[in-house]
Amino acid sequence: MITRDEIIKRTNETLKKEFEFTDEQLVPSASLKDDLCLDSLDAVDMVVVLEQQFGVTLRQGYNLSTMVTLNDLYDFIENLARTHQK
Amino acid sequence: MDENNTVVITGMGAVSPYGQGVNALWNGLLNNDNCMHTVEELQALEMVNTKVAATVEQADYSFIPRKHRRTMSRMGLYAYCAAVEALKQAGYENAPANLGFFMGSTLNSISVWLQLCGYSQGAHLELIKTSDFLQIMNHSPLAAVCQALKINGISVGSSEACATGLMNMGLAYLSIKSGLITQALCGGTEEYHPMFSACFDIMQATSKNSNENPSAACRPFDESRTGLVVSEGCGLLFMESKKSAVARGAEILAEVAGFYSNTETESMAYPSADTLKQCMQGALFCAGLKPEDIDLLNAHATGTVAGDIAETQAAQAVFNAELKINSLKGHIGHSMGASGSLESIACVNMLKENTVVPTKNLNRKDGRCGNLNYIKQKENIPLNIIMKNSFAIGGNNCSLILRRSL
Repeated sequence: MITRDEIIKRTNETLKKEFEFTDEQLVPSASLKDDLCLDSLDAVDMVVVLEQQFGVTLRQGYNLSTMVTLNDLYDFIENLARTHQK
Repeated sequence: MDENNTVVITGMGAVSPYGQGVNALWNGLLNNDNCMHTVEELQALEMVNTKVAATVEQADYSFIPRKHRRTMSRMGLYAYCAAVEALKQAGYENAPANLGFFMGSTLNSISVWLQLCGYSQGAHLELIKTSDFLQIMNHSPLAAVCQALKINGISVGSSEACATGLMNMGLAYLSIKSGLITQALCGGTEEYHPMFSACFDIMQATSKNSNENPSAACRPFDESRTGLVVSEGCGLLFMESKKSAVARGAEILAEVAGFYSNTETESMAYPSADTLKQCMQGALFCAGLKPEDIDLLNAHATGTVAGDIAETQAAQAVFNAELKINSLKGHIGHSMGASGSLESIACVNMLKENTVVPTKNLNRKDGRCGNLNYIKQKENIPLNIIMKNSFAIGGNNCSLILRRSL
């Protein structure tokens, strides 16, 4: 099963490429909305690129309002990976 | 007191095959530089006869904030750069309140559209991003630049193919003249895709006998011409009432003296000399000028056989044989929706510099073209009034008159 470190690494690489973030910006506590300034359009595009990265469907269970920080995003993907594993 | 509500130009911005900025455009024209080249994709298309285009060398646009850049295809990026340059020359770091914006294109980004079609045909709809759609709306470049530069007045994305740039200038002129608004950015933008060349080639409108010598591919009025060369870019002009310009001490580059537009109803692709004549006469009437007042006609003249004949025959019927006439398509090709405004920018500089840019590649005039004074060499002569023509496939004709500001 994919490790959390691998999830973090691949998520960060994907977000850096799509949204032009620096490594320094991508700390787990970073707020998606306030620190990374991702808006509702970005949220949709983020799902598109993460789905491509991980080969899973994120959009059904995805809810930006419950996902505050980057860490929440890692958790969400990790949980999804576990579910897939089962 | 300006009872006529005179409209003037106080800023200009350009992205052209000669590069970024008005100076690059102007220097390229003055130096007779070549910006045409063979296109790899066209060389691979056997049934397409034309292999030449004039494109903008791609630059690093990362200085545009990502939030705005994500909704810009290439033509949006060009428009952003042209808008910033025009605003700056007009004396603004930021767009003034209630600034109008009139800008369109022939089509929207073909490359983004094809990408979307690819998703659709492969049923991979999950790959579509919001930014894809926001780049291919008919008015995407207009909307994106409004968002990026906080342009909050009326915004209109009028689209009339090759007349788009001049039509949007005309609409801005009329809106200021009527008192609806005081200031506006206006013009057209376009991005090249080989499909443009292919479609015009199918219509037998492209240059096809100079593929080995791209610099000579487009030859307006010349007896050996075979058609147009597609190009791209963006030209935007900052227009405002003269009253506004004088009040804020802005440098006036030129005055917009008149505008007219009509529609050819006999053919989508072949303009009649009679309709074109009426268009030019309409602009003269609007400006309160006589034919002999015009110092130079900057023609639409794309280098097609039929179009150049119709336009010059029409001009002969309106003016006399002394009328100086030139075309800039031999230099920069046909940037379609951007052509009218890009070439108007060059016309403003011609007025300012009292310089007529010659028609590149015009050696022997086609005997079927009207009897006029075709400019083959650069001339430094007093210039006060220039008429600019743009005619579109689809039948939309525009004539706009620029005058040295008094």
